[in-house]
This record gives sequence, C-alpha cells and structure tokens, in this order.
Amino acid sequence: MVVASISNSLKYLLRKPYTRQVPRIDKPFKTPVTRGSHVLDMLKCTGCSMCQQVCPANAIDMVTADGDYPQNPRKRFPRIDLHKCTFCGLCVEYCPFNALSMTTATGYELFTVDKSTLLRQPVELKLLPNASITITKSYFTLPYSKSYQQGSGDKEVS
Amino acid sequence: MAGKGRLVEIYFGPQHPGAPGNIAFKLTLDGERVVNVETIPGFLHRGFEKMMENRTWEMNVVLSYRFCVEDPDPLEIAYAMAVEKIHGVEIPENAKYIRMIQAEFSRIASHLFWSHFIGGSTGLRTPAYWALVAREEILKWFARFAGHRVYHNISVPGGVRYPLPKSFVEDTLRLTNFVEKKVRDVEAALLKNNIFRDRTRGVGRLSSKEALELGVTGPVLRAAGLPYDLRKVTPYLNYDKIQFEVPIVQNGDAYDRSVLRFREIYESLKIIRESVKRIDPEGGLRVKLPLTAPPGEGIARVESARGEYMIHIISTGGRKPYRVRLKSMSLPLMTTVVEYIVKRDEVTIADFPILLASLDPCAPDIDR
Repeated sequence: MVVASISNSLKYLLRKPYTRQVPRIDKPFKTPVTRGSHVLDMLKCTGCSMCQQVCPANAIDMVTADGDYPQNPRKRFPRIDLHKCTFCGLCVEYCPFNALSMTTATGYELFTVDKSTLLRQPVELKLLPNASITITKSYFTLPYSKSYQQGSGDKEVS
Repeated sequence: MAGKGRLVEIYFGPQHPGAPGNIAFKLTLDGERVVNVETIPGFLHRGFEKMMENRTWEMNVVLSYRFCVEDPDPLEIAYAMAVEKIHGVEIPENAKYIRMIQAEFSRIASHLFWSHFIGGSTGLRTPAYWALVAREEILKWFARFAGHRVYHNISVPGGVRYPLPKSFVEDTLRLTNFVEKKVRDVEAALLKNNIFRDRTRGVGRLSSKEALELGVTGPVLRAAGLPYDLRKVTPYLNYDKIQFEVPIVQNGDAYDRSVLRFREIYESLKIIRESVKRIDPEGGLRVKLPLTAPPGEGIARVESARGEYMIHIISTGGRKPYRVRLKSMSLPLMTTVVEYIVKRDEVTIADFPILLASLDPCAPDIDR
C-alpha cells in the first residue's frame, strides 16, 4: 500500500539523521580491535624477516638501520609501505618475538598528499598522536581445542 | 530516437549508475526495445587463480575473498574448508557456529545492499537508504569482532582467527532485532508500493527448467520454484543441526526475486539467533595447522548470497597450492541469462536496469 510507505517515510522523517556531517564533529568509529598502522619495537626485533615472508601485499622489505641493537647483529628491520598494506595483521600474527603491533591509526589519520611519505622506515614505525595500540601477538593466541596430528614431520609454529 | 527498422547500438556501463559494477553491456536497440545484448567483462581481471598459486597457504586467506565486495565471507569460509579437507582436520564446534553467523550476516548485508540497487533502478531510493542503515550496523558488528568493516578475515584454515569480543552474544541478538525491524520497514515500503510492483512484475521471467538449463543457482533459481539450497542439499558446517526453511516463490520474475530475498533475510536471522545460543564461551576456536600442507585435493561448496560457489584446490605438498580453481556464482547470470531473456521477452531500455538488479550479479566475481 502507498499509505504504508508514506507512514514509514513520515516515521523516518521525524528521526535523527543517521548520517554524519563532513568534516566529522565526533571521532570516527573505532573498536578495541581496529587494525591500523604498525608500531615496531626495535628492541625486540631480531631481523628474522618472518613478517616480510608472510606479507600477502608484499608491503614489507628489510632495511638496515643505525643504532645499537644487541639482539639484532645485522641491524635489519622491516620497512612497511602503508600504501600497499592491507592491514590484514599477518605480520603481527607470525612475528616470533612480539616486536610488531597495530594501532588505531587508520583511514584519514594516515591521509597524505605525498604518497612517498607512506613508506615508513623502521624508526618511523612509532605510535602516532591520539592513537593507541590495539592488536599484539597475544590477540591471535587463541585457545586450541586439540593439537594437529600428522606424521609427516612438519613443525608447528609457535 | 531512431526510426522504425533502424537499429542503434549503445554502451551501458562500466560507469553507468544502472550497471552492476565494473561491467559493460553493448545493447542493440530497436526503438525502445533491447533486441540484443553483448556482455563485455574484464575490467577487473586480476588473475586470482594464478596469484593464489604463487602465494603461501596463510597468505591466500587474505586473497581468497577479495573478488566480491558485497558478500566476501562465504568465499573465505570455502577456502578455509577446502584447506581443512587437504589437512584432514575437523574444526571445533564453536568455530563452525561462528562461521555460520559470519556467513549469514554477510548474506543479510548483501541482500540489504541489493535493495539499494533495485531501489535505485525503480526510483525508490528512500527505503533503500533505510536498508543501508541496517547494513551499517552489521558492518560495525564485523568491525567489533574482526577489526575491519568489509573484508573480515575471520575464518582461517583450522578455525576462527579472533577471540570473541566481550558481550558477543548480547550484541549479536540485539543486532538481529535491530536489523529485523529495519528490514520489515524496507520490505513494506518496497514490496507494497504500486510503482515497484508494476515495474518489476513480469520482468525477466524465468522458469525453473530454463534456469537449470542456463546454469543458474541461488535466489534466482529458488524464485523460480526449485528449493535448491546447498545448506539443505549437502549441509556443510552445522547447518544440519539448525532448524530453518528454504523459502521459495513460484513466478520467477523480478518481483518474486525481491520477495524471496526478503524472506531469506528472515531465515538468516533465525539461523543467527539459533547459532549464537550454541556457542560455548569456554570452547576452542582454532586447530593449529602447520605451514606446509600434505599432498591432496580439497573441494568446498558453499551457498553464497548469489548462488553456489565452489573452490577446488590441489596440493602437491609444500607451502603453496599447486592449482586453485574458483567457480563463480554470478557468471551464468551475466552471460547466458541476460541474453536469453532479452532475446525472448520484450525488454525495454527502462526495464533493463531492473532486470540486472533483480539478478543481483557481482561483476568482480565474473572477472576474478
């Protein structure tokens, strides 16, 4: 019936708009598990390049950085291209030393007019202002109901 | 317009608001009537099958669903199920129920997005925006669980990737009530509207026999009166432990497809409400799989929002799949069905977007 649609329209007419104004007055929607730009703990990273190997977008490559890092004798650290990154979190999940973590900085907080600034050197992978750490490796350590059994000698990843 | 007997060729898409995404059609018009249609796909071809052969098992999880934006979750579930078959592992019950909730919410979000699409084609944009409100809440639910709104990456080979957030059950039940309220409004405003009825009734009629011959699955086949749903026919996950119906309607035209999609949303909400009660908060979520897979084959079929989707993976051992084959769910809709209907029925240029919207294809899925 047309009456039903009109009555519904009137109902929605009197409601608060669901859309928000641009520029936004309130903060963008963030959750405690939002996966945003990375933070690298250079005192934990050993330069094993596991993050580089699992990255599906090929956004990570290993570069040398100056400084005194006894746990990383070759001084090789991940450099992340946030322009390629899809923020899937595999690098955080597979990092054996809990050196990488993700923050709430996504979307417009990473906005730039110069694409090259999104190539983040290891020393630049720091916590941005007004961001907080959301995902660390412990987030992916789920309760396992049973361990995998196979006699082919495959090693399990911790 | 052209005079009688003179045919005009026009291009419809890929940047036409009535086109279903990045796909073009070359229409041959005789006056207002479309006499021939030629589908021009390929604008989004990225070669997913080859890309997946060159990436490792865990990297392919992120890749496996990226060719359908509206309904990505059944695709990632299918990939995970196929890899689990190669490994020969059984995932925890909890993970199965969470995957079902994920897939059904994805189906609802996809159908709600479709109502925006058909609303635009029939000139009824207002109820379509209410549908997007409900979809927005579903995307927020996904963001609270998975961290991202559109591509969720919840199901990985071995189970579920993320722990359950706090008050998961209450939030999910509240969301189902919210969505049901909105969907009832949208349904009343769309299906009871005389303009919508007149524009959609009799457009793109397809009988079940024709649909089967053209290779159609999903809502378009069920709208023709055939209750073929993989969730009932070959139950995967825990669909056989949940009570739900497969809604069917008889006429097989654009109006009946619309009716069917709304009924499917209610059934999906029923499945979610039932599944969320069966989750054990203390239970396991994931079986740890090694980085290398044993040699073998894995086939998984799932019922996505657009029809049957199948993935076939061959492993020869090692860290990468040897061959991956994906069966698209909307390829028959855009190739055979549109051409068949246009050549048989009298479809005008004004009805053509409604015909496309009622089929609800996913253009990136055709190209892959």
